Amino acid sequence: MATLELRDIRKSFGGTEVLRGVSLDIADGEFLSLVGPSGCGKSTLLRILAGLESQTSGSVHIGPDCVDGQRAADRDLSMVFQSYALYPHLTVAENIAVPLTMRRLRARDRLPLVGPLMPGAGARRADIACTVREAAETLGIAHLLGRKPGQLSGGQRQRVALGRALVRDPAAFLLDEPLSNLDAKMRVHMRAEIAQLNRRLGATFVYVTHDQAEAMTMSDRIAVMTDGELLQVGTPDSLYDDPADIRVARFIGSPAINLLPVETGSGGAILLAGRDSGLRSGPLPVAHIGIRPEALIPCDGPGLIAGRVTMIENLGSDLFVQLRAEGLAETVTLRLPSEARGKVAPGDLMHLRARPGRARGFDSMGQAAPLRAEVTTDA
Amino acid sequence: MRDASTCQPAAIAGPSISPPASARPERRQARAGAVLIAPALVLMLLILILPVIVAAVLSFTDYTLGRSGLGWVGLENYADIFTRSSYRKMIAATVLYVAVTVPVSVGLGLGAALLIRAVRVGADLYRTVYFLPVMASLLAMAIVWEFALHPSLGLVNRTLEQGCGTGLELWPWYARGCAEGFPLWLSDRDYALWTLAFIGIWQSFGFNMVLYLAGLTSVPRDLYAAAEMDGVRSGWARFRLITWPMLGPTTVFVVTISTIRSFQVFDTVEALTHGGPAKSTYVMIYAIYEKGIAQNLVGMGAAITVLFLGFVMAISVAQRRFVERKVHYA
Repeated sequence: MATLELRDIRKSFGGTEVLRGVSLDIADGEFLSLVGPSGCGKSTLLRILAGLESQTSGSVHIGPDCVDGQRAADRDLSMVFQSYALYPHLTVAENIAVPLTMRRLRARDRLPLVGPLMPGAGARRADIACTVREAAETLGIAHLLGRKPGQLSGGQRQRVALGRALVRDPAAFLLDEPLSNLDAKMRVHMRAEIAQLNRRLGATFVYVTHDQAEAMTMSDRIAVMTDGELLQVGTPDSLYDDPADIRVARFIGSPAINLLPVETGSGGAILLAGRDSGLRSGPLPVAHIGIRPEALIPCDGPGLIAGRVTMIENLGSDLFVQLRAEGLAETVTLRLPSEARGKVAPGDLMHLRARPGRARGFDSMGQAAPLRAEVTTDA
Repeated sequence: MRDASTCQPAAIAGPSISPPASARPERRQARAGAVLIAPALVLMLLILILPVIVAAVLSFTDYTLGRSGLGWVGLENYADIFTRSSYRKMIAATVLYVAVTVPVSVGLGLGAALLIRAVRVGADLYRTVYFLPVMASLLAMAIVWEFALHPSLGLVNRTLEQGCGTGLELWPWYARGCAEGFPLWLSDRDYALWTLAFIGIWQSFGFNMVLYLAGLTSVPRDLYAAAEMDGVRSGWARFRLITWPMLGPTTVFVVTISTIRSFQVFDTVEALTHGGPAKSTYVMIYAIYEKGIAQNLVGMGAAITVLFLGFVMAISVAQRRFVERKVHYA
């Protein structure tokens, strides 16, 4: 168990800089997700943390020690790969045992034929077999120990990969998109299981994913990356409610946040499609306002937005309604409770207002620009 | 109205009565399939199976080309193979040649492939250079080797002579060479087969290297990363844990191909030694050629051919068994 610290990590491949000074502190026992669109450098960052790749500049610390120049095998970290990277010719038991045989057995104990005859090797091997069985039981794969990876389903392989990672009690676990090869149902199941594992082991987890839903459901904190930079690091709630950057707002949340272009008039009045929205900007001029689909509510009179319903997505528990708003190029998405089923139809005209305190402003550079306390437009 | 009366009940009964067997789609498709594979089947029988049967039949006769009849000799040809010393030497020479060239050329091929994968620059150059002997005509190369190995004028012995009078003479073999002359590589019965084996290895390991290079590209990079995370530190441990097992299918293929090709060695024997000296390089294909074609003892040639086919068949069967059991993991 240990803290992890990345200080101003930069990485260039040839002339292209894929990481531009990333600094991140990860607390002991924390579940931190690195999310971002593909190609944003999150996997590279994880591999630098693991020691599989070296940074161009910056330093990596595990616990109190700087581990720069230390190879991956010596860093005492475990990693789960997207492809699982199981050894296909070894059984599940042998796969899980590899980290232990490589660390606990001496080179001469591992020799074929004569290895088992070395003094003490038998006892060490028995000890390893026992640890492997415990790890397998933790993950519910004890009945599969004799099989080869080729005979397992995706979910089972995933568990074997996890078993190989946790059998050795490492300083931290690094997981590189471990669920992306599973089907949707298995993914939901495994993400709960991995989050539970984190709590039970009390170990530090660094989890790389491009799926914001995984990050939201599992993490203590999320670090959002784009183009080799960290945009924001925070709890799932803070990222969802108070994104510091318009790209974070866009990335987090499904369906996506409604981002509407606005103009800031005299006195800070925010004009949406030329009309006073009732929102007032703070010290910074506002170029966009972001409102989550559930923060919009229908109202009778003219509200913030008026538009015609173009599409209704019925999820059973919720209803997502898309509107083409007057004077706006963007479609607006609105979430309604299931009771609204049958009460809206495509073509209906709807007036919407924002729940108080739920609209967020962004300046022309995409940075958060706080709004002043709102004046309600509609009583 | 006989038609109507036979037709009527079928129409009424509907699905319970099946249509005539010949009209069922499965039957029709099977018939079409048989027609479609027939040409390939006939060709295979004519070109591949029939000659083997003919050879097998001839091996029990004393047939020679041009003679009108043939006499049955039973197992006499086979008895000769296993009793006469020249044929015993043939089997010994062939087996020794295969036993030397296969492991060495496979080992060198794998080693060269691993080294080429490891170098940063020049991989293409090495790949081309090592592959050159594979592309060259072995007969032409054999003539070059004949010059190089000439006892007094050849490049090899003249180079060795340059070392005389130096520390190399501490090696007894070298000292003897300096005193009594270096070996007659191709006409000394203690050296001839080894020399041919050396040329065989020189010629074939580049081919194995290319196969291994292809095999290496299919080893997932993630496995090496996983092994590093699992605490695998040495290159040897990495090779044992990942590279060698993952190359299993390639190795089986390379060994099979190399073995069959080594059994078939002929060009160098024909060009350099003609089976001699003292039958020390009298390998099977050369024996088939000499008996069946040069001496027109077709029956004997056929018997050696059948034995040869038996060897190759045994290797192929062993390969299949091995492939199914050990090296495919999915």
